[in-house]
Amino acid sequence: MLAGINRVGDLEWEVPIGYVPGMRVPGRFFLSASLAGTLEEGAVRQLANVATMPGIVKYSLAMPDIHWGYGFPIGGVAAFDMTEGVISPGGVGFDINCGVRLITTPLTESDLAGKRRELIERLFAAIPTGVGAKSTLRISNKDLSRVMVEGARWAVERGFGTEADLARCEAEGAMSGADPDAVSSKARQRGVPQLGTLGAGNHFLEVQAVREILDPATAETFGLKEGQVCFMVHCGSRGLGHQVATDHLRTLEAALSKYRIHLPDRQLACAPIDSPEGRGYYGGMVCAANYAWANRQVIMHEARNVFAKMFGLDYDEMRLVYDVAHNVAKFERHEVDGRPVEVCVHRKGATRAFGPKAPEIPHEYAGVGQPVIIPGSMGTPSYLLCGTTTAMQKTWGSTCHGAGRVLSRSKVKKEVLGKEVREQLAGEGILVRAHSDAAIAEEAPQAYKPSQEVVRVVHVLGLSAIVARLEPLGVIKG
Amino acid sequence: MSFEELEHTADLRLRVRGATLDEIFAEAGRAIFQVMYGCCKDRGVERRIEVEAESLDSLLFDYLSELLFITDVENVVFCTFDVNIQGTRLTAVLRGEPLDPARHSGGTLIKGVSYSGLEIRRDEEGYVVEIILDV
Repeated sequence: MLAGINRVGDLEWEVPIGYVPGMRVPGRFFLSASLAGTLEEGAVRQLANVATMPGIVKYSLAMPDIHWGYGFPIGGVAAFDMTEGVISPGGVGFDINCGVRLITTPLTESDLAGKRRELIERLFAAIPTGVGAKSTLRISNKDLSRVMVEGARWAVERGFGTEADLARCEAEGAMSGADPDAVSSKARQRGVPQLGTLGAGNHFLEVQAVREILDPATAETFGLKEGQVCFMVHCGSRGLGHQVATDHLRTLEAALSKYRIHLPDRQLACAPIDSPEGRGYYGGMVCAANYAWANRQVIMHEARNVFAKMFGLDYDEMRLVYDVAHNVAKFERHEVDGRPVEVCVHRKGATRAFGPKAPEIPHEYAGVGQPVIIPGSMGTPSYLLCGTTTAMQKTWGSTCHGAGRVLSRSKVKKEVLGKEVREQLAGEGILVRAHSDAAIAEEAPQAYKPSQEVVRVVHVLGLSAIVARLEPLGVIKG
Repeated sequence: MSFEELEHTADLRLRVRGATLDEIFAEAGRAIFQVMYGCCKDRGVERRIEVEAESLDSLLFDYLSELLFITDVENVVFCTFDVNIQGTRLTAVLRGEPLDPARHSGGTLIKGVSYSGLEIRRDEEGYVVEIILDV
């Protein structure tokens, strides 16, 4: 382990006050010995920097997929007091409400025999992907205002899904507090043509098979069976979210002196939650988050149509298990020193993992905790877990969000060729479809920590509990 | 005038050098388009922009963010950047071509420009800056 960090549990580490000047609380992160070798000093410094922010409560936290980002580390979680605390775009990231949803189908792997290539090609044709991709949807600026307020409901009311889908989204697919006036005309110009597009980078739609059920009772509650074919959608708020983040980062950075906030990293630019700048960011961020839920809803609809046509399925046979956000700031009630208090929880590359009986989770899942969807990297397993009471106590109800990178894009491109990765994965029975082999190389499995180990750590710690393992069969990428 | 990619696990970190401020801004623009689209030719697309900020670092942030905005909404790829800086005000003439998915989809989408470590410095060779971009 890096110098200056104290071990406080089997898988738990503390960054003491003083690691960087001005820390108000200690940092805490969760990591196994085998993952410790991948920890960058830059990530720990970023975790410590977050601890200098005004009104931070208890700890600056990071999940086992912690890695070096900008502002907050990726995997970072922090809660802020509603009066003394701040809100920061650096604790959310540019891709506001980047998230994941998982959908089951009544098909088994054998139903896909001989048809997998065609399925992947049809999905690739139906869903716009990659740099410069534009939607086939035609929406007006007025429609966009409604998307930003109503989120996934806007899509469902236009036939892109069913009422039941909404209950199975975090925040029912729309956070309250959207302020379309806090979204610039530039953000709107980017948002109008991109609704229903997957984007590029690590975003994907993957067809998967449930390969192992580890908690049969909870899997049944979530509607999963061994051998079942599922699909998973990973994407966010596209150019609209990137522009909202950029615009407000700029405003908050300029307002730092007004609020006498001193930070070690300007990317942590923030303002008091109840200040004009803080409220402006929150209202704009909610608009982008709601756009992202509508975006994933439209993409899921297009994929459902492809499955329905190819395999003669009824639309309703493809059930949304859940949709989770992993880049967002939210006002939530948590227990602090035995009292329930409202705090502003930032999760940047971390998933909400609320346990059983949390009022925010769907009634049908109240007995087991919310579904937590952890995508693997391309070619590695993804996992379905459930939220726990331990997460509520230790991490503001949060857990990891994915595998976490270990190799930069430039390094991995020097080490592997996209064509080789594609052929190797095809040899393992995983079909990859993208616009270019370079995009495949960047996301090669060797660029990521093993998802198995990251998930094992959160499971052993009790931050969430493994329900099922899903293996990839084919993936479309940006 | 040059740029190089530095090690950064999750995002993209570039070091950009230039003999003058005009050069370093032009090179930073060229760098992000190279990363996003690879090849680009001047095929007659021309665009003029003006940006003003309260400091040079913020001017760079605003200028690069403006380039990301323009390419996203106008579907254009730029290859030459004629930049003129007066104080903390910039005018630039950008030249390039329309986005062609067949030729321009081999790159990495940039989501935003980070303020982390964004500080234009002077050294014996001229100006240098490191930029972390969210990809």
